[in-house]
Amino acid sequence: MNFVEAYWKMQDSIISLSNNEHAALAIIISAVIFYSLGYYRVVFVYAAFLLQAIYLFSRGMQLGRLPLIGPHDTLFFLSASTVLFAVPLSMKLKKRKQLLYPVLLLSVVFMLLSLAYKPHNVPLTPLLKTFWFEAHIVLSFFSYALFSIAAVLGVMFLISKGEQIEILQCKIILIGYCLFSAGMIFGGIWAYFAWGTYWLWTPKELWTLILWLFYSLYLHARLRKWWAGKASVTVGIIGFFIMMFTYLGVSLFMESSHAF
Amino acid sequence: MKSARNIMKIFFSLRTSVWLMTALMLILFYGAYIMPLKKEFLMLHTTPLFEWLLEQPLAITWWIWGALLVVSLLAVNTLLCSIESLIKRRSSQKMLLLIAPQIIHAGFLFLLLAHVLSSCGSFKGTTFAFHGTVLQLPNGLDVVFDEIHIDTDQSGFVSGWHANIRYFRRGRYVTRDIIRPNDPSFQDGLGMYIKAVRTRPFPAALVEVSREPGAVWALVGGVCFLGGMIILLVMNIRRDAESLQFD
Repeated sequence: MNFVEAYWKMQDSIISLSNNEHAALAIIISAVIFYSLGYYRVVFVYAAFLLQAIYLFSRGMQLGRLPLIGPHDTLFFLSASTVLFAVPLSMKLKKRKQLLYPVLLLSVVFMLLSLAYKPHNVPLTPLLKTFWFEAHIVLSFFSYALFSIAAVLGVMFLISKGEQIEILQCKIILIGYCLFSAGMIFGGIWAYFAWGTYWLWTPKELWTLILWLFYSLYLHARLRKWWAGKASVTVGIIGFFIMMFTYLGVSLFMESSHAF
Repeated sequence: MKSARNIMKIFFSLRTSVWLMTALMLILFYGAYIMPLKKEFLMLHTTPLFEWLLEQPLAITWWIWGALLVVSLLAVNTLLCSIESLIKRRSSQKMLLLIAPQIIHAGFLFLLLAHVLSSCGSFKGTTFAFHGTVLQLPNGLDVVFDEIHIDTDQSGFVSGWHANIRYFRRGRYVTRDIIRPNDPSFQDGLGMYIKAVRTRPFPAALVEVSREPGAVWALVGGVCFLGGMIILLVMNIRRDAESLQFD
């Protein structure tokens, strides 16, 4: 078998892997187990992340697009993104595991939540087949992952204090805010070319604006020394809940044309 | 004189920004809750915002008026704080660190301008179009739909579409264009979009004609905002790297 034949055979295997529901479930459960074992050896964290990457890649190959539609795919992507950012960020702290362990727990929760929803395997409507839409989704979920990590750092600060933790939370929120703003702008560009308007007054957009204003408020208040410390980290923690409602709550509990 | 100075002091304050953002958030929180409950909000996207606001009872729109007031105050606060910052620290060595937040603020103000323009002067109209349909547009152009082509995959899902159109003005041919998903046709300030298609009994398209006067300013605002944020992030990373070198 030459290289080209081996490549096509591997591609068929990956596609059939994601088509097989049992195989997909096995990958996800294995990733959960490996993340749990990550409490003992960090190498299991890398193995679990690799499994998540394989699953996302296989879903992408099966669907012919980024697997980012519906609660199953987005929760899974959020789970993987959270670990993707947490691993290098944890190296900035003296006690690396202090950040990594709670983030792994969060990642496992997101992954288990994703199992509660069926994968969205319906072909994408033509209006969603554009770079602007995919960039909008990816940037939004990267920012959600960073806001989640910032909340974990906030809890860490409340438990064990440490100026370094609070400063790291601020920096992560700044990067997350930049990505979230970029996601909103890319979403506006997509909406203008797809729908004829860059903004719609729906619950999803309103909550997105609330989330953006919340972190704008955090970043402005944080410029003053009197705000640093317990007050700012608490705001960083509250931001996580607003983020989760914006992401999941609006889609599940409110009627909006902008569901997921 | 003293009261005027105190009022100016309030507008130059960062604390004012924080309180205004908090107030705006709370108003929008209420709005996000009330919008799905009132059927009047279903018509919000069919007319310009200000036109819709003047037609609807205050009982359901008071929160939008409140938000507009707070946003106006926030815009003034942003502008004044930016100007003060530039004047007070104009001799600063770190010009990029001084300018980056002001570029972000400028982006924010351009975005507000975009929304004001769209809220006053936007237009939206929808209709069905078939092969041979002629539409009269508000800008004096006529558009003829020569062909509507819809692609479907093996399972019958619509995988794409395009419509070949020609523009005429007073019977004279102007130009031709093709409308595709995420690729509308723009002519003389109006955009033509295909929102949905139908294959049976014959190819038909739900066409929307719209005008968004604020779109360009929204893009300018977005570019400024992101540009300023990127500069700020790079300056932060550079400062961290320098502090590590001196450790």
